[in-house]
Amino acid sequence: MNAPKQTAEIFDILSKGQFICSNSSNERIRKLFDIIAENGNFETLQDYFSAINFVLEEGDEYYYLSRFESKADLERKIETAFRWIDIVDFFKSYDTSFTSGSRFQPSDILVKLNVDAVLKDKLDGLKRWSKKETYKENLEHIITKMLCAEGFAELENEIFNEYKVLSSFNYLEELINSINIPEEVQDEIPE
Amino acid sequence: MLSEMFEKRKLLSYKYDHALELLDDNQDIIQLLISKEVINQNGSYVEIDETFLDFFEQILEVNEVINTAYINDNFEEVKHNILYYLQENSESRKNSYLKAVKSTLKKIGRITIRNIVDLKRNVENTFKTEPNFKVKLTKLENQKKKLTDIKNLIQQTELLITEDERTFFATALDEELRSISTNLQLQLRESRHNLIETQKQIVEFINQIKSQSEFIEKLRQIKYLKDQFEIRAKTNINALLLEANALAFEKKPSYPLQLSLEGLQGDAVYESILKINRKVKTKIKPFVLIADSISEEYLEVETEEEIHINMDEVRNNFAASGNHLFDFIQQYQFPREVTYEERVTVYCQMISMYENDLEITEKYSRHDTIEYAMVHPKRSRL
Repeated sequence: MNAPKQTAEIFDILSKGQFICSNSSNERIRKLFDIIAENGNFETLQDYFSAINFVLEEGDEYYYLSRFESKADLERKIETAFRWIDIVDFFKSYDTSFTSGSRFQPSDILVKLNVDAVLKDKLDGLKRWSKKETYKENLEHIITKMLCAEGFAELENEIFNEYKVLSSFNYLEELINSINIPEEVQDEIPE
Repeated sequence: MLSEMFEKRKLLSYKYDHALELLDDNQDIIQLLISKEVINQNGSYVEIDETFLDFFEQILEVNEVINTAYINDNFEEVKHNILYYLQENSESRKNSYLKAVKSTLKKIGRITIRNIVDLKRNVENTFKTEPNFKVKLTKLENQKKKLTDIKNLIQQTELLITEDERTFFATALDEELRSISTNLQLQLRESRHNLIETQKQIVEFINQIKSQSEFIEKLRQIKYLKDQFEIRAKTNINALLLEANALAFEKKPSYPLQLSLEGLQGDAVYESILKINRKVKTKIKPFVLIADSISEEYLEVETEEEIHINMDEVRNNFAASGNHLFDFIQQYQFPREVTYEERVTVYCQMISMYENDLEITEKYSRHDTIEYAMVHPKRSRL
């Protein structure tokens, strides 16, 4: 079976470390998702990409590429994972049900900052990733340069400046979930 | 006043002063209500008596608490009345029991549906608004229990109509009863379908909350370890990330490709080149060397006059003269003073310039120290 004709487009997106999500508001991406999910296409593409040393991986409503052997060293991966943990932690404390499919407006988060000291503290902690001083810039940087640029959210409504969390956010949750904390360590952590 | 108090029954307190204000400071009415035990006074607060509150809620069908016992009561009542009906001999008293059964059956249908609607709303409200995860979970679990109760009641009622008291429904030949019981069965069936849907929803909500709260807890622990710089030592994050080879971890790749030289020749590319050229504006401005100003001296006009000997003119005059060249030049009136040596030079120049126009003879003549050839104008030309 031949690779679908959108293979180049799929590779173009995935090879940049992006995700193809089923709930993207971009119709083109949704279409690509459907094409990968289509009967037999996933296996075909997997074979196709493995020939150039990439592994097409399937997640909960999203696809992404990985390698047989990563080019990033462990330090970089740890750094990235730490950043993701901080970001997920921040948005989860903004809204405990913040997950794939949620919608949010930066202005709402800014308003909540005024009444939620914990949230403010966490945003302060994120400064080390964004290197921005004001809360507004900091938040903006995190949303646009991190969440959106890495393909975990996208601007859905430009008029309201409303963002949508994509299903690739599940990847972050799964990653965090798969970190195993031994029980004796769990007991050390205060409530 | 009562209606306002009823509206605010959810609030814990309703001030006596507020009530008074509402009644235009008419203390008598409040005192009357208190004495009739419609409302209770508790310090500076007043509240509607529980019995009346229940009564209002049921009349207005606005209760938020699902009361399965209430259905159960009605159910028992139907059962008893049926029993009385079957045991009673007097026709008129039989009728009164029948009437009671009919009204209770009607009520059961209505209450069941009402309860299901309330339950559904409560479930959704709890899921959406309850901020505390643990409370939310317990509340939903309780609602799930209530749902099972309602389900059982529906089942019992259905059994009652179709199986247990079949004799009663067969013997009591009453058109209205029949329509009521059919109606009730329809209502019950609808309720059952609704319940199944609600149950599905509750289970889904509970699962979501469980996974969410578990995740939040996990996230909190991980964040704590991370902030304590213990995460790498105490968890398997190193091993985990060694395994994780997703491209998302890597730097955004860029693929620098050389431009196609042929492509650059195209007209379409020209626009792009212009565009990029506009962007590439360096801040370094090329420094232009400025020359010193030209001094006044150079600008002054100097004229040097030289009187030029027009050889053509000399030749033309010579051709007309009929004299030989050397003599002609010696006697020629030049525009300026011309020395003997110069006249000899002119003689030589004339010969070299107009050789073809002159006839140079073999005869020589002498003047002072110079020996010269006799030169005449060419006859043929003249």
